[in-house]
Amino acid sequence: MSTTLLRTIQLNQFSLLGTALIRRRSNNVSVRCCGSQTATTHEAKQTPPSRVAPKNHKSNKLDEILRDYEAVIGIETHVQLSTLTKAFCSCSNNYGSYPNTSICPVCMGLPGALPVLNSKVVEFGVRLGLALNCELSLKSKFDRKQYFYPDLPKGYQISQFDIPIASGGYVDLDIPLEFGGGHRRFGITRVHMEEDAGKSLHSDTEDYSQVDLNRAGVPLLEIVSEPDMRSGVEAAEYACEMQRIARYLGVSNGNMQEGSLRCDVNISIRPIGQAEFGTKVEIKNLNAFSAMSRAIDFEISRQALLYDQGKADQIVTETRLWDEGAQKTVTMRKKEGLADYRYFPEPDLPEVILTQEYVDSIRASLPELPEAKRRRYEAMGLGMQDVLFLANDVSVAEYFDAVIGKGAEVKLAANWIMGDIAAYLKNEKLSINDMKLTTQELAELIAAIKDGTISGKIGKEILFELLAKGGTVKGMIKEKDLVQITDPAEIEKMVIKVVSENQKQLEQYRSGKTKLQGYFAGQVMKMSKGKANPGLLNKILLEKLNAKD
Amino acid sequence: MATRALLAVISASPNRRFISSSSIRIQSSLSSFSRLNFQRHSRKIHRTAGSYSSDKESSVLPPPDVSRLAETARISLTPGEIEECETKIRRVIDWFGQLQQVDVNSVEPAIRADMDGGNLRDDSPETFENRDSIRASIPSFEEAYLKVPKILNKE
Repeated sequence: MSTTLLRTIQLNQFSLLGTALIRRRSNNVSVRCCGSQTATTHEAKQTPPSRVAPKNHKSNKLDEILRDYEAVIGIETHVQLSTLTKAFCSCSNNYGSYPNTSICPVCMGLPGALPVLNSKVVEFGVRLGLALNCELSLKSKFDRKQYFYPDLPKGYQISQFDIPIASGGYVDLDIPLEFGGGHRRFGITRVHMEEDAGKSLHSDTEDYSQVDLNRAGVPLLEIVSEPDMRSGVEAAEYACEMQRIARYLGVSNGNMQEGSLRCDVNISIRPIGQAEFGTKVEIKNLNAFSAMSRAIDFEISRQALLYDQGKADQIVTETRLWDEGAQKTVTMRKKEGLADYRYFPEPDLPEVILTQEYVDSIRASLPELPEAKRRRYEAMGLGMQDVLFLANDVSVAEYFDAVIGKGAEVKLAANWIMGDIAAYLKNEKLSINDMKLTTQELAELIAAIKDGTISGKIGKEILFELLAKGGTVKGMIKEKDLVQITDPAEIEKMVIKVVSENQKQLEQYRSGKTKLQGYFAGQVMKMSKGKANPGLLNKILLEKLNAKD
Repeated sequence: MATRALLAVISASPNRRFISSSSIRIQSSLSSFSRLNFQRHSRKIHRTAGSYSSDKESSVLPPPDVSRLAETARISLTPGEIEECETKIRRVIDWFGQLQQVDVNSVEPAIRADMDGGNLRDDSPETFENRDSIRASIPSFEEAYLKVPKILNKE
């Protein structure tokens, strides 16, 4: 299941397409980076009926609940930065290293060690803050968040409490079409820099746990959203957009399964019309965007039921864990009161000071962000389905931009990429960057089909060759002699020959079986090795078939 | 903001945990994050509250709850030690009370006491040479991991 999250082209529900030779129909493609629960009509046809009925039933129930109650959802996202070193020391920031090898006195919290801030962390913080349309604090500071836990070597986490590096922003996104589509804007309360703790492995059987401190001190950016989301779908898409932006910016690889993107959900419900918020519940242990959506739906139902039963006071401020197996949220041990972290300014670190020039230079170096790309693709005339697909993965978008930059027609390029190419990548489990088909060759292929040099069908064959082995379009056309036959005289010769060799079918055709035209066309195609221009072929064929002998 | 500066200085001293905890308790009790404004807010509260201490001009800050402080610092104290600490800590808090009496409404808040920011490091990896002795000094280091009691709940 976690593989559905990898943001490569193959994982966008291309199983729905069946074989690659079927021309892509517009409704099939789920463009949610994680879409494991789409309810398109096409999917309904392909999945066994028993799977469709419960899903519809559940979403009806949720709709009913949402007529009486409003869900208020906020999300805290932790993004692990892809810097080379940790936040406050020069240890390597490497996922998957042998335990407790990337350590030093600073990140181990040994006496006398002092933190020194990694300049890249500030740069990434500014980039993300700008990408989220935030106001930057030109002066910010670090604070100590103090609590005791085995994976926290210093007994405190260096974080930013009251003066974060960025605040007061927003993100624009589009809800995938299979969930109703539509544009949304969600507020961002703040973005701040902090360090990660180590990793704990809890033994099921024994009474001890094991701690690996490779991760202690790894830099994080925490993004806190405004409680603007109103449903599981909106929350999941917000999280997807956070991942998309992080990857577009190159500040993180945003892999939920690696832990480089973690989301905690805060959710409350209130009867529609009520001004005060209900009691807020936190949900942790969400390992996938789809899990977020399901957890939120479950929690809405759970809380609504209590309200309906008059037991709203049983909803308490607590942290619940999402149990993926049981598909429900469960209480962690209830905390006695709010945690007291005794924040105070980190005395070992100076202020973080940004100059306006520094900020401006970073703003100038930002890449085109997902939202800007989506709007640009829309303006080019692409439908939302195509827009969401192409802009989802930055590598795909770049490839697409390069192809149309070389002159290829927009809609054709989109179709090829979303159709046959995507299916190929999914089958071979490749990313678009690993593909042997270059942007230049795809552009040439599209041009060759458009100007009639080769037919569409031949084009597809060439595509498969190029995908598998590379090479050039021109080379392949020459090598296999694939140039389309557009000379009417030549086609006429072949038609006459085929007709004369198939007298029986000709009689059947003339006595009413007009469908046999296809048979003749096939024969001519075969004779021409697929090179006859289909339009011309059929025109001439029809003339000959219908002519009086 | 002068309070903050002093805090930074005082926090460098060995007793800092007690001092910082009690003073910051006031700050952390204001749960909403509101930039620098809450500093002024808390100052206003304390200026209007009157309270008296025998040995200082006036103390408007609440007395320390030493047993709670000890709990949060995970330090065990005997009742005698608690009493002893209470007097000492209270004196320091009273000094802060005096500081908070100062009218700083016309002073621009400073985030920190030092004037220059910076001191940033390049993002280039360096392996610490003596990791073996770090690992060797951990009493419960077993099979590449630190072995610790199983605690599932953070606080």
